[in-house]
Amino acid sequence: MGCLVARRFKSFEGVRRVKFRGSWLWWGMALLGLALLPREINEYYIHQGVLIAIYAILLFGLDVVVGYTGEVSLAHGALFGIGAYTAGILSTKTAWPFLATLPASMAVTAFFGGVLALPALRVRGPYLAMVTLAFGTIAQILINEMDFLTNGPLGISLQKPDLWGHALEESEYYYVVLAIFFLTGFLIHRLLISRFGRAFEALHGSPVAADCMGVSVYRYKVLAFVVSAAIAGLAGSLFSFNELFIAPNSFNFELTITFLLALIMGGRKSRLGPVLGAAIVVLLPNILDDIQLFRWLAHGVMLGVLGLFLWRGWKQGWNHWKSWIIPGIGALALEISSHRLQDMTDWRLTIFGALILFVVYYLQNGIVGWLRQGKPAVTEADFPLSGEGAVQPVELERRSVAQTTPGPLLQVSHVVMSFGGLRALNDLSCELAPGQILGLIGPNGSGKSTLMNVLTGLYVPTSGEVRFKGQRISGKSPTRIALRGLARTFQNLQLFGDMTVLENVLIGLNHRYRSGMTETLLHLPRFVREEKAARARARVLLDFVGLAGEASREARHLPYGQQRLLEIARALALDPDLLLLDEPAAGLTSAEIERLIAVLHKIKGQGLALILIEHHMDVVMSVSDQVMVLDSGRCIASGLPHEVRHDAAVIKAYLGGGEEAQHAGN
Amino acid sequence: MNILTQLVLSGMALGMIYAVIAFGYQSTFATSGTLNFGQGEALMLGAMTGLSLTGEIMGGPYLNYWLMVPVVLVIGSLQGLVVEFLAVRPALRIHSEFGWIMSTIALGIIFRNVAENVWGRDDVPFPSPLPTTPVHILGANILPMELGVMVGALLLMGLMELFNRRTLYGKAVVATSSDRGAAGLMGIDTRAVIAFSYALSSLTAAFAGVLIAPITLTGASMGSVLGLKAFAVAIIGGLTSGMGAVVGGLILGIAETTTGFYFSTGYKDVPGLILLLLILAWKPNGLFGRAAVQKF
Amino acid sequence: MQLTPLNRVLLLLGMVTAVSTVQAADPIRIGVSGPFTGGSSPMGLSMRDGVRLAAGEINRAGGVLGRPIELVERDEEARNERGVQVAQELIGREKVVADLGFINTGVALAAERFFQQAKIPVLNNVATGSVITHQFSPPQYPDNYIFRVSASDQIQAHMIVEEAVAKRKLTKVAILADSTNYGQLGREDLEKALAARGLKAVAEEKFNIKDTDMTAQLLRAKEAGAQVILTYGIGPELAQVANGMAKLGWKVPMVGSWTLSMANFIDNAGVNGEGARMPQTFIQEGNTPKRKAFIAGYQDAYHPANGRIPSPVSAAQGYDSLYLLVAAIKQAGSTDGPKIRAALENLNQKVEGVVTTYDKPYTHDNHEAINAAVTVMGEVKGGRVVYAYKEDMK
Repeated sequence: MGCLVARRFKSFEGVRRVKFRGSWLWWGMALLGLALLPREINEYYIHQGVLIAIYAILLFGLDVVVGYTGEVSLAHGALFGIGAYTAGILSTKTAWPFLATLPASMAVTAFFGGVLALPALRVRGPYLAMVTLAFGTIAQILINEMDFLTNGPLGISLQKPDLWGHALEESEYYYVVLAIFFLTGFLIHRLLISRFGRAFEALHGSPVAADCMGVSVYRYKVLAFVVSAAIAGLAGSLFSFNELFIAPNSFNFELTITFLLALIMGGRKSRLGPVLGAAIVVLLPNILDDIQLFRWLAHGVMLGVLGLFLWRGWKQGWNHWKSWIIPGIGALALEISSHRLQDMTDWRLTIFGALILFVVYYLQNGIVGWLRQGKPAVTEADFPLSGEGAVQPVELERRSVAQTTPGPLLQVSHVVMSFGGLRALNDLSCELAPGQILGLIGPNGSGKSTLMNVLTGLYVPTSGEVRFKGQRISGKSPTRIALRGLARTFQNLQLFGDMTVLENVLIGLNHRYRSGMTETLLHLPRFVREEKAARARARVLLDFVGLAGEASREARHLPYGQQRLLEIARALALDPDLLLLDEPAAGLTSAEIERLIAVLHKIKGQGLALILIEHHMDVVMSVSDQVMVLDSGRCIASGLPHEVRHDAAVIKAYLGGGEEAQHAGN
Repeated sequence: MNILTQLVLSGMALGMIYAVIAFGYQSTFATSGTLNFGQGEALMLGAMTGLSLTGEIMGGPYLNYWLMVPVVLVIGSLQGLVVEFLAVRPALRIHSEFGWIMSTIALGIIFRNVAENVWGRDDVPFPSPLPTTPVHILGANILPMELGVMVGALLLMGLMELFNRRTLYGKAVVATSSDRGAAGLMGIDTRAVIAFSYALSSLTAAFAGVLIAPITLTGASMGSVLGLKAFAVAIIGGLTSGMGAVVGGLILGIAETTTGFYFSTGYKDVPGLILLLLILAWKPNGLFGRAAVQKF
Repeated sequence: MQLTPLNRVLLLLGMVTAVSTVQAADPIRIGVSGPFTGGSSPMGLSMRDGVRLAAGEINRAGGVLGRPIELVERDEEARNERGVQVAQELIGREKVVADLGFINTGVALAAERFFQQAKIPVLNNVATGSVITHQFSPPQYPDNYIFRVSASDQIQAHMIVEEAVAKRKLTKVAILADSTNYGQLGREDLEKALAARGLKAVAEEKFNIKDTDMTAQLLRAKEAGAQVILTYGIGPELAQVANGMAKLGWKVPMVGSWTLSMANFIDNAGVNGEGARMPQTFIQEGNTPKRKAFIAGYQDAYHPANGRIPSPVSAAQGYDSLYLLVAAIKQAGSTDGPKIRAALENLNQKVEGVVTTYDKPYTHDNHEAINAAVTVMGEVKGGRVVYAYKEDMK
């Protein structure tokens, strides 16, 4: 036993370094250790080990939805149950072999995952949580009621899993599950560090920006749910062969909550987190059942807190003693309660709750988040395919406009956009030639940003139409418009804050990939080629806007001015024919504005068409070929920059608009 | 006896129970964008403290029902402050995205466990302040206390509306709910408003607890199922509308009783939930929820 | 490396795990598993307290085979997967010689195969699902390690139907059962018992745990013209059934499984629950010296509210189960599983319990200690369970 603990502890230590060094070596050693485990311990621990592995597999999948797309799913307990029941029914009623039931379960739950994601397009936050909860509840009721299929509340008893005619013993099944666990973890890891994982994360960071970068929120959200559900199904089917008896009441709301807690405690967006979380929720009830064990635990916490306090005080002085009040009281309470209690059973849940609170207070990003301490989830070192030293002469590639129909690049005709009674755009028409730069100015509330949103498909105009490269785009989805070559930045920054600078640009490059999920998972040549090319391309673009040195910083940690530039780089990654910039200079210092103007001139030099909304007249006047002035949703003037500047209507609109001076900013 | 009337009346009574609890979710969501997943436990604590005061469980009775209610309301709001202080404030301070979900669930678990140890694990009867013989309405039977719940729910809805519109603090709550940042700039102590909303939320839950305890099961685990159903109700109606909670409650309650009778008692929860999914497919923010125009 | 609090905790956790597994080998370790938290806990706790009471008495009398008895109590929370974990922990880590417990039939079905595999006898002292003792019955399995000290659903269903149909001549019956394993297994047994008399229920309705509104179920039963309601559920929901009938102004007799005797039914239903009848193996009336001593002992040790045991049946069966087991250990002269099983199947001495005096309760093929003759009909009267028929009071 002592040996087991030492091993467990060691493997924990080892795993911790994995994250820091990004190496598979430690995982390999953990694998070896786990493979030797059954020789030393009895069935009880093997069973626990299998259960931990199964929960961890499920949590890998749950992490896709919760960690990456940032949605709370309260349906995973039910999906787990559907997987378990699919396996149970197939193996008892139709005598399917064990290995065949696993993919069947995955297919069934993947289907339900897709169904579950259908409402996800429109519903968010607590509403989506409720949708998933309703789904989970309905599934549980159906399992309970459909006696003819599921045997109702009486449950299903399974035979031991069978591999080529050999019924697997507990320790043999342990190896099967262990192999599947490592395989799932490996494949999920590959998926999540690929463009798919980046797309999932982008949905969380800013769904609007994802849509406008050609990464369809709907498509990837459905995909995330499908992947997540399929893995839940896999875990469920493994579970049914581990327990050999399944009944509807196992797959209830409590189980779902347990899964969520495990994931959040262990740490999201990581492969280690699910393993730790699963271990905690499986082992904790056993630890808390044993009063002696708990007393030792309490002594340990007490000594730990005291020791740490003294050590800190010795090293750094005693003036921070206040921050130790709560841990001190907590440890003391734990110590006292461990001695007052004769019986753990009654207070076990309170201690469990207190542990959760502890995690929320001190390990808010889970154990793994705490181990990482501010390091991004995926570092460049994790990815072997970085395009090292690939910075070529900066040049933008573009789709050839010449191939499309001649005539204006963008044609806006009689567009009206009304919100209730308010007409934000009132019969607006304008045109833009390829390579032309249009400055768009006007007082606040004049409809500039509304026009942007209409052009990029975020709003569907009430009437009128927008044509781009000769085709009608009004009414099309933002993703399709973006993929046709119309990119934008946002007035209120919409970066994917948790992702690195490089990853932000890679989202914009998502459209360049042709390789599918299988190629991605197996690292087939086309995927490798494309990934290398994309990374090299992203570095080119970062260099273009002068952010090459910041590639692996998290976007939210960039200074404001650089965030604006990053949005431009990300938009350029779409290889657009037309770029819409919504107040790129807002909030910038004058030095940053200088840099911005330089970048804009570089873009202009590449022959890209631009629409530039800006309050800073010097920016507008120095870059634009033509300037258009909006007021109350109408165009009140348009022409060459210096003409517009002296237009009487423009002066009136600005001065009449109150204090809306030139620096109206964000 | 008219069957349909009976089913609808019973469904209304049931729905109003859900609605009263659902108010609690709304008030905290409005100010802080968080929900107290321990709402069911707040309800349970209200009912159990109420029972300790009016029943014999703790050597009482000390107070009669009507005198007990204000005491329970005070205790309930204190409990809400505790939840806010221990679970929500730290999570919001460290901008932990899922923190508040975990910490409110954790506190719920703790409250339930403590209640189990203080009051036992069994369900116990709660003496009804109103007669327990049913009254006849339109050929159907209904308990006076069920009518009491309906009146109580409507009263609560009215009071909340009045509070939001007529009092300065209410206006501060509304302001915080529409734009926390701007409200902060206007000199509203948004942190206090959030704390207040939690107090209000648990107060309504505690009120709901003493209101429904005489006609439901009263015990440490009474809140779990009710808390979930009330969550569904709050979502159907929309998290931003008091009216929505009442309508959502009626929809869910009546769907439950009528399905139970006309279709099958085993499936009685299903149509209500399917209705919920349909409603959300049609109106993603619930029936009466506001959908803010998105600005980019 | 900087020693962070978490590292320290983990380090200590490791040491603690290592230390705690060093155990004294002296006492005889017996597992007690049941739900001690959550909805079924009144039954689980009463059972546990009954077992503790017996263990205390036995230890004061010098234990068995000269060794004291040590109970290893584990809460399985009425969850199947927890039940499996607990079973494996008791077998693999705690090395128990036998296990007492199981309240929920589902948990029993999920977990007992591990005891069977390890050849460790289990005495089910509350769970009633008829199938439990037949999971591993011969000839498929040479030896069955699963025993029972409670009235199986088969016995109960038979008595319930006899009470309603034969004794009271109420032939239009409605079945109200909860949607769990317990309720649905019971419903099946009720259906079988009715079919044996050529009857079929006019309505069969379900309710969920924690349901508070029973209007739909009761209206359906009423519309079908039911003259009596047969129930299979647990206390709190059954109380809501009784209260729901009062609300609808519809009063027909309730006859149901033994759970109608639980305090949480009697208290919550109040006057509406009066007259409900149920099969009982034990009624809290000290009508024999042994029973009197048991009740007094329980009250002294655990001070139940109003002096009433939350679930007297569970407590009594829990108490008896340990005495039966100890008798078998004594006879076997060993704590070896197969030997205890063999002794249980052939007990030479009578064991005086509170439910009954067990005279050769088990054989190789019969693992039911309690038969219909031991089981009596109880009735709720004045907030207590009393004998429905005076002649049963013996």
